[in-house]
Amino acid sequence: MAASTVAANFDVFRFDPARQVQPRYQRYTLELAPHTPVLTALLRIRAEIDPSLTLRYSCRSAICGSCAMQINSKSRLACQTPIGPEVERHGRVVVEPMRNQPVLRDLVVDQASFWAQYDRIEPHLKLDPAHPMPEGRTTSMTPEEVDRFKETPRCIACAACFSACPAVEADPAFPGPMALAKLYRFVVDPRDGATQDRLVRIQPNGLWLCLRCHLCTEACPKDVRPSERIRDLKEMAIAVQGGTEHGSKHAIGFKDNIVDLGLLNEMKLVRQTFGVGGMLGQLPQGLKIWRKKPEVIRKPHRIEGADELEKIYAELDKRSETPK
Amino acid sequence: MKIAYYPGCVAQESGKELDMATRWVCRALGIELAEFPNFSCCGSGFVDEANEVLNVAINARNLAIAEKAGLDLLTICSTCQGMLSLANLRLKDPAVKARVDGALKPLGIEYRQTVKVKHLLRVLTEDIGIPAIRAKVRRPLAGLKVGAFYGCHLLRPADEMAWESGEEPHAFEDLLAAIGATPVYYRGRVMCCGFPIQFVKPETAAGIAGRQVLDAKAHGADAMATPCPLCHISLDAYQNQAAKAVHRPLDLPVFHLPQVVGLALGASPEEMGLPRHLVSTDSAIAKISSVPAAAARP
Repeated sequence: MAASTVAANFDVFRFDPARQVQPRYQRYTLELAPHTPVLTALLRIRAEIDPSLTLRYSCRSAICGSCAMQINSKSRLACQTPIGPEVERHGRVVVEPMRNQPVLRDLVVDQASFWAQYDRIEPHLKLDPAHPMPEGRTTSMTPEEVDRFKETPRCIACAACFSACPAVEADPAFPGPMALAKLYRFVVDPRDGATQDRLVRIQPNGLWLCLRCHLCTEACPKDVRPSERIRDLKEMAIAVQGGTEHGSKHAIGFKDNIVDLGLLNEMKLVRQTFGVGGMLGQLPQGLKIWRKKPEVIRKPHRIEGADELEKIYAELDKRSETPK
Repeated sequence: MKIAYYPGCVAQESGKELDMATRWVCRALGIELAEFPNFSCCGSGFVDEANEVLNVAINARNLAIAEKAGLDLLTICSTCQGMLSLANLRLKDPAVKARVDGALKPLGIEYRQTVKVKHLLRVLTEDIGIPAIRAKVRRPLAGLKVGAFYGCHLLRPADEMAWESGEEPHAFEDLLAAIGATPVYYRGRVMCCGFPIQFVKPETAAGIAGRQVLDAKAHGADAMATPCPLCHISLDAYQNQAAKAVHRPLDLPVFHLPQVVGLALGASPEEMGLPRHLVSTDSAIAKISSVPAAAARP
């Protein structure tokens, strides 16, 4: 027996920048089973109602990564998103192009910036001469070494994460979650000889702009978990280079602050991150805040039992495994 | 109910008004707060970047303090909530647990992973419950349109936090409706406030905060409210910088979660520490004061 259908309203973003000054939303109503993917609905609209609707798609099986778009403001693969829950939660299905990339037409965006950031991380193996391929083998990795990639090889480069990322939105310098997850994959590859160089070069105007908001991990249709791998890269970058950027200095300073006092001292941390000179730049805003909130300038306070934190840190340090 | 109160660093320093409002609201709702002067900072996500295992270990120590007292733990900060929950989660990995146990044991500290970490938003909406709060409202925030701003670490990664949807939460809006306010739905409510890179690239951080405030305003909000004091720093204390970054005036009052609840339960603006905000809350207070309290009672 056929499943019961729902009357689903689609509000689809339509825009041809070459001929129109601004986008509009076009309403289409279809009778569909709740499990129908949004992509299937869009293809029916194109076939039966409006042949001018423009979109990218290919495999319809969540493998090619072509049909990423915004569905009710969430970055999703259209082929993998059933309409039922969307209609239930929002009363309609708003379909828009991905964010953070200029629209070429309707649901199709120009992905040049996304791919430029991918190129920036040099996504190919730089073979380590000290670790050559054994004769007659195609891989020189043990299963344990393969496990170090974690979920990153699953990435299909659909750019849903790039579309969801507020750091990409605010700062074109940020490489974006996909490029950094790919970088992680090469950094932990035992065959790669450029690990340290990769970790050094990704830091200025790159790695430390991640907000760890986890919106990428939420958007990823393949559970690649980019935000968690970016965290790993930050710890590895500190291990290689120590504090060279504001971001790494801040993380190290924060850690030292907590191990020493147990609590954060806001003033002390600003000095550690920016230096005494940099603190002057923060002064006008600091005074404005201090007038309302005088506690921002106070003597460092040590919690009861702060010595325990020092001992925990020393103990962990003693037992730490050496990273690759 | 009795719960271990974990105020976090900011509410003990620049965000003191959050601590004041939390204590007032908990007193009014019969939530007994047990205090522990030996709680340390949660690491705020920065310690996690520098040293993942250390971050788990310092929070295992915090959780062990609550466990010894036989209490669950109350947070009033999205980031504290995220970091303490993350410790509970990472400790399920036997290798991580062995390393952390090894560092705690010489100090006579043991954590058996029995403590639930609950943000105030969850305690109010689940443990106290929406009907009980609605029944205690003395001054409904009628006419006030409020944009909830959740803060990332309260919500995500959602599969690991497993309380609210990471992209479409509703607990805060439910609570706002219960206290008589009109919740405003806007995309920015689940976005980032920019705080984590305030010290990396301040102009980018300000631009991110500015976008969310603009979005709330564009959807008609008279004010925003946040369960996270770090978001409050970005959205209130640095709102002037955010306005510069987006080249638009903002002037949108931003409340802490317990402040809006407290006001509805009858607290004065002074009791909620509102004079401590950088952006004046007067416009919002004027809106709710113009509604006669008895007439608007639900």
